[in-house]
Amino acid sequence: MKAVKGKFYFGGIHPRGNKELSKDCPLEVMPLPEEVAVSCSQSLGKPASPIVETGQTVKCGELIAKAEGEVSSDVFASVSGTVTAVKELTAANGATEKFIFIKSDGKDEKAFLPPLTEPDAEAIKARVRDCGIVGLGGAGFPSAVKLAPKTPVDTLIVNGAECEAYLTCDHRLMLERTDEIVRGARYAAKALGVTNIIIGIEANKPDCIKLFEPYENIKVVILAKKYPIGGEKQLIYSATGRKIGLGKLPADCGVIVHNVATCFAVCEAVEQGKPLYERIVTVSGKAVKQPKNLWVRVGTSVQSIVDYCGGEVTEQIIEKDLQTVKIDVKNKTETSENLVTEKSTVKKVVRGGPMTGIALASYDAYTHKTTSGILLLNKSEAAAEEPTPCLNCGKCADVCPMHLMPMNTAFYSAAGDFDAAAKYGNTAYCIECGACEYICPAKRPLIQAIRKTKAYLRNKK
Amino acid sequence: MDNSIVISTPPHVKSKRTTRSIMLDVCFALAPAAIAGCVFFGWQALLIILMSVFACVATEFVYFFIANKGFSNKCRDAKAVCLRWTKQFDFTSVVTGIILALILPTTDKWYQVFYEVIFGAIFAIAVVKMLFGGTGKNLVNPAAAGRVFMFLSFSITTVVAANFEAISDSSLVFTDATNLSGLLTYGTGNNPTSYISPLDLFLGTGIMGSIGETCKLAILIGYVYLCIRGVIKWWQPLLFLAVLGFTAVLLAGFTFDKYTFDMSLFLPSILSGGVMFGAVFMLPDYVTSPKGVWGQLLYYVAAAVLCALLRHFTKTEVISFVVLLMNLVTPLIDKYLIRKPFGYKKVKKQKEGK
Repeated sequence: MKAVKGKFYFGGIHPRGNKELSKDCPLEVMPLPEEVAVSCSQSLGKPASPIVETGQTVKCGELIAKAEGEVSSDVFASVSGTVTAVKELTAANGATEKFIFIKSDGKDEKAFLPPLTEPDAEAIKARVRDCGIVGLGGAGFPSAVKLAPKTPVDTLIVNGAECEAYLTCDHRLMLERTDEIVRGARYAAKALGVTNIIIGIEANKPDCIKLFEPYENIKVVILAKKYPIGGEKQLIYSATGRKIGLGKLPADCGVIVHNVATCFAVCEAVEQGKPLYERIVTVSGKAVKQPKNLWVRVGTSVQSIVDYCGGEVTEQIIEKDLQTVKIDVKNKTETSENLVTEKSTVKKVVRGGPMTGIALASYDAYTHKTTSGILLLNKSEAAAEEPTPCLNCGKCADVCPMHLMPMNTAFYSAAGDFDAAAKYGNTAYCIECGACEYICPAKRPLIQAIRKTKAYLRNKK
Repeated sequence: MDNSIVISTPPHVKSKRTTRSIMLDVCFALAPAAIAGCVFFGWQALLIILMSVFACVATEFVYFFIANKGFSNKCRDAKAVCLRWTKQFDFTSVVTGIILALILPTTDKWYQVFYEVIFGAIFAIAVVKMLFGGTGKNLVNPAAAGRVFMFLSFSITTVVAANFEAISDSSLVFTDATNLSGLLTYGTGNNPTSYISPLDLFLGTGIMGSIGETCKLAILIGYVYLCIRGVIKWWQPLLFLAVLGFTAVLLAGFTFDKYTFDMSLFLPSILSGGVMFGAVFMLPDYVTSPKGVWGQLLYYVAAAVLCALLRHFTKTEVISFVVLLMNLVTPLIDKYLIRKPFGYKKVKKQKEGK
């Protein structure tokens, strides 16, 4: 169907996209890693419990950790090989997670579920659960739970906004696997029993919008080019005009949102029986040599991804104090080893998007089902300024997509008065998109203050 | 990878805008008004501006120096304190200095203004700004407070009273000339019948007034610049001026026996005096204006009505007082006009905070 414009939404920012770094890089399959470390906490909710032991041989796509309870997801082996260890480690976000280390045998034998022919709603739901599919947009909410809403729904929104800067994984997927996404969305709609499918795409991806227009019964909504238009509540408002009440779920106003990558995973799960063990990761940033969009197995180490992308961009530091040798930058043969030292330009390593991702302390971290990007930011990109006093300029409130007052939260929580912080800043409803801190001219650590206040509220309950 | 990588909470990218760049933008926006002032009033005006800026920056430095114990025995410490000062210097005191100078009158006794502005600057920076905690913590606009301090403290007062409102809005046409006897010895408005055209008011030609407030064209240029650079919201000064103009027209219409509604007063009332300067450079001051959009709406409307009322009944220019009064109300507005989150419905609020 012909694309229509989304509803105007107050708030939001226009960050420098930097998408051109990687948006023209076609999807590429990364070679098998030698070893993967698959975390058992791959989704929101309870972590899965491992069902494999050290020394056991597994095939690619085999269940290695079983979901615990309703809101949890199964975890699958992402390579075939031997389980070398099952141990607890401190993950990049500071929490302790159980990791299953699998050494690849290089054969990549696959163990898929049987494909579904003529799937009905119940079969699709079961298949999505059995394939461990989670929301691939970043939050990682188990998709099977979303496909079984408690209130009646009438609309499925496919989220193709990808409003985060740098990330292009969804963009490339929409370009190259349009048909699969649509089929996946139709399976999801069938499981939900709805016929109304809307796909929301940000206005900076006109090529994708064109690709989706020819499909029947799929409404394409052009979203305003701003961050965070892909946030659930913002997307639903822009696409349908419905407002989700505070503390309510999208299903409460009859809408379910799935990311395009999730739809693609649903399609593969239904048609091929493929469990979710790989995803597209955007490797970008001005400090990585070759930005890429890669199919990466879950649990691949960040180090191997960075190595595959050519490593870090280095700058040459020329020491001038050595006497005899003339420094000639163009003709390197003249310069000796001592003169030129290579220095990495990496200032920040981010797993996920630049606005919501986690800053890594080292490359010793592993990808998750929800890892949408690995970003190597250099000094000019990474924000590392000292905060200055708050000016009360109110820019943070102007851009807040939830229409909150972040400056009040920051002010009162700095004074230790978290109750006032929550009251005057309405902190409980913050979606932690980071828009306020992005725009802040004083570079105040607003998200930190908000998280602190939220933690206080959680502990108080 | 070396050890210099940074770990922090998201977001990992931030805008390039800093406090310093915003304040520099305000300085640039003030430049046309300052230049116009120098063109109209000569080198005295320039001297006053320079003196005011110097006094403000010097006061801030001395205060910072003392507060950071720069007077210890070691010379090294003093150097470190100076270094720290340059690092945190964000041009707010420069802005204060320029504004303070631009809202001062020009008189024949300019040398008086010249030293009095130093006291005004010291009061504005040391008492109003730094005592409350420096940038971002002051309760009222330092420049307006400094202006009022001078207004109340010095012999300049009488001169000011006349000069301060070169042309008062409605009073010019409708009220008795004796109220404005001081004013009318200046400029072209020698008698109430000789009407000063809005064009004269707009360009600032042939009228007396404060250094930066006379040429409205220059202020307009500054306003456009501030809007383009995203420093102020475009609707804020417009709302203030529109409400002010309408209120002035309404008030001027009241006479004892009949009511007249004359829209021709609209332009003179917003173009005269210092309201335009105040609307663009003093009322939207970040620190002392409300943070939420609804709070800002209320703030500008209330300021405009207050300004029109005071002007109508006192027959003097009152923008500095209006700015100060509204600044004092700002914390209350902020406290009671809390923004409703997206998706808020008027049901019983969930007890998440309690």
